[in-house]
Amino acid sequence: MSWSRAGFSALILFFFFVIQESAISKIDFPISGFSLYLCALLGLMALEDRFGAIALGFIGGFILDLSPSTDSPFGKWALILTLIGYLFSRNRESIGDFTERPIAFILFVSAGATATLIIFLIFGLILGENNGSALSNLQTVFGNGLWTLLFSSILLPGLVKLRSFTLTSRERL
Amino acid sequence: MAAGGNNRSRLLLVILLVTSLFLITLDLRGVSITKNSRSATQTLLAPVQRGVSDLFSPVGNFFSDIKNFGNTKDQLKNLKKENAKLRKKVIFNKDIAGELKKLKNVLDLAGRGSYKVVSARVIGKGSSSTFSQTITIDAGSNDGVKKDMTVMGELGLVGVVKSATSTSAIVLLMSDPTFRIGVRIARSQSIGVLMGEGDNTYTLQLLDPSGSIEVDDVLLSLGSDNNKPFVPGLPVGYVKSVKNTSATLTQEANVKSYSNLSSLGIVSVIIKSTNGGPKDALIPRPTPTPTTTVYVTQQPTPEASPSESSKAKN
Repeated sequence: MSWSRAGFSALILFFFFVIQESAISKIDFPISGFSLYLCALLGLMALEDRFGAIALGFIGGFILDLSPSTDSPFGKWALILTLIGYLFSRNRESIGDFTERPIAFILFVSAGATATLIIFLIFGLILGENNGSALSNLQTVFGNGLWTLLFSSILLPGLVKLRSFTLTSRERL
Repeated sequence: MAAGGNNRSRLLLVILLVTSLFLITLDLRGVSITKNSRSATQTLLAPVQRGVSDLFSPVGNFFSDIKNFGNTKDQLKNLKKENAKLRKKVIFNKDIAGELKKLKNVLDLAGRGSYKVVSARVIGKGSSSTFSQTITIDAGSNDGVKKDMTVMGELGLVGVVKSATSTSAIVLLMSDPTFRIGVRIARSQSIGVLMGEGDNTYTLQLLDPSGSIEVDDVLLSLGSDNNKPFVPGLPVGYVKSVKNTSATLTQEANVKSYSNLSSLGIVSVIIKSTNGGPKDALIPRPTPTPTTTVYVTQQPTPEASPSESSKAKN
């Protein structure tokens, strides 16, 4: 992952972050909310190699830590998403190229979003945070996974195209 | 190569995890840099959020609106029902207000005439097929209403009680063709007989051949023995036009009644009148007509200068 691509990916992620914070978070979704940002980040991470996924996980987590609406300690999202990036890249290698298997891509991203939130809750418990009742947490995790499953089918093809602009000719090969 | 790449990735992973833990530690220790970064993001996002908020507000509640669609429908149904109820109430209140106004006027007139009255609501009107002009009121002998008592409205005479039961009474209206009442002209004190003609017009026949009638003369009831059937001094109507017939011995005039018999809501039955009656105290006072005064100030017109007038000539 080149520095320029890392910078460009960070820009894309910041764009999604702004949309998430200013628009998507205002929609009153049934069951629970949908994180466009997480969906986009996991989609980009799934297309990267191990190094790129870890780096992108950290960058994405760092941006998410900047969110004024979050109560968790600064760096928590960076830590979790770095770990997710690593786990993603490990499992991704066994699946193969996602651009040729869109359904697997969608399912992978949705599962990743669910896993991210579960790990976030576990880390919250370790850090002694109060995240509300187990039922509401379960609802949030399930709802977000469901909405990611529905919306990723619309979002991910565009994201793949957007990412292809950032690739160098060598990386394309 | 792969092993080298893995090592690089592992190293990066360790570095980034340590960095993350370091950031968490800093935040938990209350270092202001981490706190400030969030407030800086807030400052950056605020204008965007404000702009998007206006644009996004209809979409924001889209899902909740769908979810609450059934509830909204029920709510709308309930509101419609409530609205219909309130409309009925408003109409009822308007009706009550109208009745109250009429009652106030009736009582006001009765008070000025020092009449003891029983007020009643008009609950029925005689069928036009009977050719008699009557109304039914909801006061009867239990309230002290008896046959041959004078009935008045907010502006004057309405009729006379024809018959009374314990709870209601039938009133013969002054417009009935059989209705006759002795009246006096307030201006000239000439006396005459007023006769109903079946509509809103009446004929006045003076008893004194030398008496004079003029247009807009006010007619007051003359009164009967023991105030039955008529009390004295009650406004009856005014002269609309004088009939010029040389063939008859007495003068006649067309009269218009003060009471509008087609819109009677509340009436009062005069149970007792003071001795001698109110004399001329109940003569309706003419309402002053407001006059509009217009002041016109003439604007001075500027005279044309000699140079301008010469230009005009050219």
